[in-house]
Amino acid sequence: MRDTFSSKLLELAKSNPQVLLLTGDHGYGLFRDLRAAKPQQFINMGIAEQNMVSMAAGLSRVGFNPIVYALSAFIPIRVLEQIKLDVCHDNAPVIFIGDGAGFVYSHLGSSHQSTEDIAVTTAIPNLIVMSPGDRFELSRCMDLAITANSPVYIRLGKGDRGDVHSQNLDFNLGDLIFLKKPTDVATTATLVATGSMLAMAAMLCQRFPSLGLVSAPSLKPINNSQIRDLCLNNHTIITLEEHSIFGGLGSIISDVAATVAHATVKKLGIQDRFSEYCGSYEYLLNEHKIDFDSLKDAIKHHIPGLD
Amino acid sequence: MNNPLIPKKIRKNILDMSFSGSTVHLGCSLCLVEILAVIYRNHLNYDFFDPLDPKRDFLILSKGHGVMAQYACMKELGWLDKKRLLNYFSDGSTLKGLADSSVPGIEVSSGSLGHGLSVGVGIAFGHHLQKVNQKTFIIVGDGELNEGVCWEAIQFAGHHQLQNLLIVVDKNNFQAMGATSEIINQDNLKNQIESFNFNVEDVDGHNEHELDQAIQGLFALRNNKPNCIVANTIKGKGISFMENNNDWHYLRLDQALYDSARSELEI
Repeated sequence: MRDTFSSKLLELAKSNPQVLLLTGDHGYGLFRDLRAAKPQQFINMGIAEQNMVSMAAGLSRVGFNPIVYALSAFIPIRVLEQIKLDVCHDNAPVIFIGDGAGFVYSHLGSSHQSTEDIAVTTAIPNLIVMSPGDRFELSRCMDLAITANSPVYIRLGKGDRGDVHSQNLDFNLGDLIFLKKPTDVATTATLVATGSMLAMAAMLCQRFPSLGLVSAPSLKPINNSQIRDLCLNNHTIITLEEHSIFGGLGSIISDVAATVAHATVKKLGIQDRFSEYCGSYEYLLNEHKIDFDSLKDAIKHHIPGLD
Repeated sequence: MNNPLIPKKIRKNILDMSFSGSTVHLGCSLCLVEILAVIYRNHLNYDFFDPLDPKRDFLILSKGHGVMAQYACMKELGWLDKKRLLNYFSDGSTLKGLADSSVPGIEVSSGSLGHGLSVGVGIAFGHHLQKVNQKTFIIVGDGELNEGVCWEAIQFAGHHQLQNLLIVVDKNNFQAMGATSEIINQDNLKNQIESFNFNVEDVDGHNEHELDQAIQGLFALRNNKPNCIVANTIKGKGISFMENNNDWHYLRLDQALYDSARSELEI
């Protein structure tokens, strides 16, 4: 995914001289090609994220298309007010890339982990929020972002979980991607996943072949009529995300499901707690009970008849 | 330009708005009047008929609490009519209590402090990259400089040598709850900002000639440094019972006080 991000960024910068990559002194390896090919379109703004976001708003006012890169613990969390007031209030076309979302920085502790960013960004008017699950989704999200003419937050989580899709995608902003229909008429249950948990959901579907699988690369806007159809065609919807169970994908799906009153939504994600321990990414997933085995057990618990 | 932006007229507009809307923030608006008048009258390049002309210089009021002073100037410029001005703070008014970018002529939504300075440095940096000859003027309060992000913006502007930028510090020595000397002392601003590679002038912020000369002199330097004026002002300037009385950050006018204040502004 990271190679795709770098090459897509270079492609956007080459095709539009108004694209400026602003970084808060992060992402050394990611920008090697951009700095070599278009050095004037790369600006290291220093370790000053608040100023970086407000300056991006100013740069957009005079015709630039800033892409603001930092870790998601800082963009959007540290600079939420700058995003709200300077960028979103004026509907300025600034793209925010929040890298390392979830537990990517598993060894570093809570300062570098981000599990609340979807909740806070989706509450800000004008802001589009995307959470691509593999490199094909990321590539499409970046195309949608650059043409949106609106502020966009793209959440990048663990980038080496493998592809779920096998070819380029052309989904519209807000669309769910239906990868597999549920096959067991007795249970009719579907996993809906976003970001890094899409690959995990695909593995869980191999373990439970009767489950349906849906990807949600765009969280705001999101296609409500597709969610309503999903609710009408399933007994159980299980949402899966490397994000708090409050305010993320699970909440978004539940909000719509509540208006349909057919399917039951079970939210799998991060409970209301910080990481207690340091360790590998897999270790942290296990600590928060969103590793493969914990999720497998949770799904069996929620759908007792499932094989 | 036809309109000379007379300070007493601007102050009358401020009083009328404040009385009509029963508003706060009189003190921090009255101290800004000469700064705004001189910038609009003598230095800001803009299309008199189009506040959104892309070739304009940008004037950003980062201390959004003083927005009445800017609205009062915009009335003199013909950008706001009297009815709209007097509707400030009222139900359904688009002239909100603090500076709001939805009003043409107001560049940045501010009042949450420290935002306008960074947005303005972004605009100045954009013009610097584009190699166009447009200037950015940013007015910040001395209390506002408590915000750390201001210093992020100042260090960026100094490092990138934004000589198209002028920051005016409205140094009225007060902030919402008291004197800056008792909260966060700002008496060394000239040296502090100079140390970030700025040209800095210290002037009487109510002396139009001094302000005018300082702005002209700083932009003439063109020595690859951004510019700053520390404008020493009096909070509540022009109304004797409001001057240096910080209560007028929050107090509202009644009829008697309004009449008394208005009588001090007869030309």
